[in-house]
Amino acid sequence: MTDMITTLTARPSRMQAFVKSMKRNAFGTPLDAAITIIVFSVLAYWAWLLVDWAVLRAVWRAEDVGDCTEEAGACWSVIAGRHRLILFGLYPFEQHWRSTLACLAIILTVIFSCFPQAWSGKRLTLLWGVGFAAYYLLMEGSLLGLQQVTTDQWGGLALTLFLFASVVLLGMPMGLGLALMRRSDMPVVRGFATLIIDFIRSLPLLTTLFTAAVVVPILLPSWLEGDKIWRVIIAFALFFACYQAEVFRGGFQAIPSGQFEAGKALGLSYWSILGRIVLPQVFRHALPSTINMVVVTFKETAIVIIIGFFDILASAKAAFGTGEWAPHYLEVYVFVGAIYWVFIFSLGQYGEYLKGRMSIAAR
Amino acid sequence: MLTKATVVSMAAAAIAMLPGAVLAESPTVKEIQERGTMLCSGHNGSYFGFVEVNDKNEWKGLDIDICRALTTAILGDPEKAQIVPLSWAQRFPALQSGDVDIIIKATGWTMGRDTELGLQFSLPYFFGGTQFMAHGELGITDATGLEGGTICVEAGTTIERISANYMSTIGVEHTIVSYESAAELRAAYLANRCDAFAGWGPNLAVLRATEIDNPDAHIILSDKLSSEPIAAAMRQGDEDFVDVVNWMLAALLIAEEEGVTKANVAEMAATPPNPRVARLLGVEPGMGERLGLRETWAREMIAAMGNFGEIYDRNLGKDSAYNLDRGLNNLWSHGGVLYAPILD
Repeated sequence: MTDMITTLTARPSRMQAFVKSMKRNAFGTPLDAAITIIVFSVLAYWAWLLVDWAVLRAVWRAEDVGDCTEEAGACWSVIAGRHRLILFGLYPFEQHWRSTLACLAIILTVIFSCFPQAWSGKRLTLLWGVGFAAYYLLMEGSLLGLQQVTTDQWGGLALTLFLFASVVLLGMPMGLGLALMRRSDMPVVRGFATLIIDFIRSLPLLTTLFTAAVVVPILLPSWLEGDKIWRVIIAFALFFACYQAEVFRGGFQAIPSGQFEAGKALGLSYWSILGRIVLPQVFRHALPSTINMVVVTFKETAIVIIIGFFDILASAKAAFGTGEWAPHYLEVYVFVGAIYWVFIFSLGQYGEYLKGRMSIAAR
Repeated sequence: MLTKATVVSMAAAAIAMLPGAVLAESPTVKEIQERGTMLCSGHNGSYFGFVEVNDKNEWKGLDIDICRALTTAILGDPEKAQIVPLSWAQRFPALQSGDVDIIIKATGWTMGRDTELGLQFSLPYFFGGTQFMAHGELGITDATGLEGGTICVEAGTTIERISANYMSTIGVEHTIVSYESAAELRAAYLANRCDAFAGWGPNLAVLRATEIDNPDAHIILSDKLSSEPIAAAMRQGDEDFVDVVNWMLAALLIAEEEGVTKANVAEMAATPPNPRVARLLGVEPGMGERLGLRETWAREMIAAMGNFGEIYDRNLGKDSAYNLDRGLNNLWSHGGVLYAPILD
């Protein structure tokens, strides 16, 4: 360990290394230098245009919307005036403190479960149980004696986060279960898992969700219908699980069968072999694709707009969908894009951190 | 001696005679009254002037106000309307599955919907046609001037078909460019990538009024490619509900004809200027009983929402950001095509 640190500090500093590589690669020959200068000036010009539009000439306050003319830059007034609609959709206006707290509960749960200290089955279950219950009780309200807000009024970022968290949370164990079933020695179990996985993967997500939201209530008796949001979450989670099962299967295939046999020879039970030997390695192998799946799922939640849910993209459309704010759709999209970017970039960075951590463990 | 059955039937008769507890004949209305809320269609976003969300996260718009008027007619309180957000594709299945009681969502009355989809429509409450908008500098007034030009449309809409059909009828050579979303279409048109753009009349006018800094730089061509009657859609098989919706719309129009407004409705009810108003406002009986509603439903509805003209002006017309002309959507007596059936 000390060796590693000394070698690290012995290297030239980052800045020196950067200057050196620039000298060598970017300004090596006069042609290189010319290309570098041209490319960088174009980039700098673009950056200037962006800053000029988004900051210097921008209009910030909702009351100043009259100043948003052709000459002005970004009209952030639309965000100032409509951000509560974008973030919380149709949730009753006076109750927004509840959806704010509920969003925080979910975000904190995600952050806490990212720390290695939380990585035990018991702690994760407890954490997510509490986080999820807090979200649901706050949003729905009737159990806490607050005004009841039914799920069809949930919306905006609050709904997107809820959909994402519940889909991943339900889909991950389902995916693992399907992957295990697909590796089973029993032909019926194996065949069933294969059928489910291949069937659902052959359907577009949109069809699956449309069926769950719109067709199921026509077919089922009303007492069996349940809430629309839960039907959609279950369908979405099943879809996620089928893809995730294949990701896990890849992880399983990377593990030599000798390990199983060695485990059996030592007299370990199936679950011990799985839990103590195989799964930790499977998770490591499957991690990059899993992060990918999670990121894709976060973005795909936007598809629920088609079945009439007021997710963040739908509420963004509603935000610029009135005469007053109609010209400023670009600013609204930039704002929503920034929100997506923050979440997805953090997920990606966390994935990188995990990979780094696990490769140290593998050494 | 009173048997149990007589007591029950007497009680039922007594309830039926109480004001505000009239038993509706329509199963849908009965269901709405038992539930205590009316389920109307909203939109997954905003649809200019018809279904929008205001700064307080509340629904507004022409279609929303008509739903609230209907809710007041049936339940006596506009706040009892529950708006369910629906996408365009989802609205008819949602009606059939009972997710909503009625679709009031800029929906055109077509034969396919009326027959194959098992729907029935109310009287049309709005007329909107397909028209072209072109850059003013082209100096044209009708579609013949678009010879050899480029027309932008939204992909996959009826407008795409209507426009192609119309242009081949009048024999004008042109290129059609489709765009996936309305925002993209607008941007393309404003960037001069097309000479004209085909759209639903109210949308074009709304765009001209809001998005474009200099409205005079654009002209809506005189050609009327189609005119769609917009009506409320209901499930087939409940004629009494259709009656309620039709007379709700009729009452809004009659109120406008007779000059009954949100502001003067109480006064008008106290001293009705003529027998028609007296009947409309429930001073003379007949309005409520025949529909299975309260006698004063129309009075309460106008007190809450105003007459049709007030609803239009508030959402699309002179009191809105769009300032859209009444045009066809005026009363027959003012050059429009809206008329109410006869109140006898």
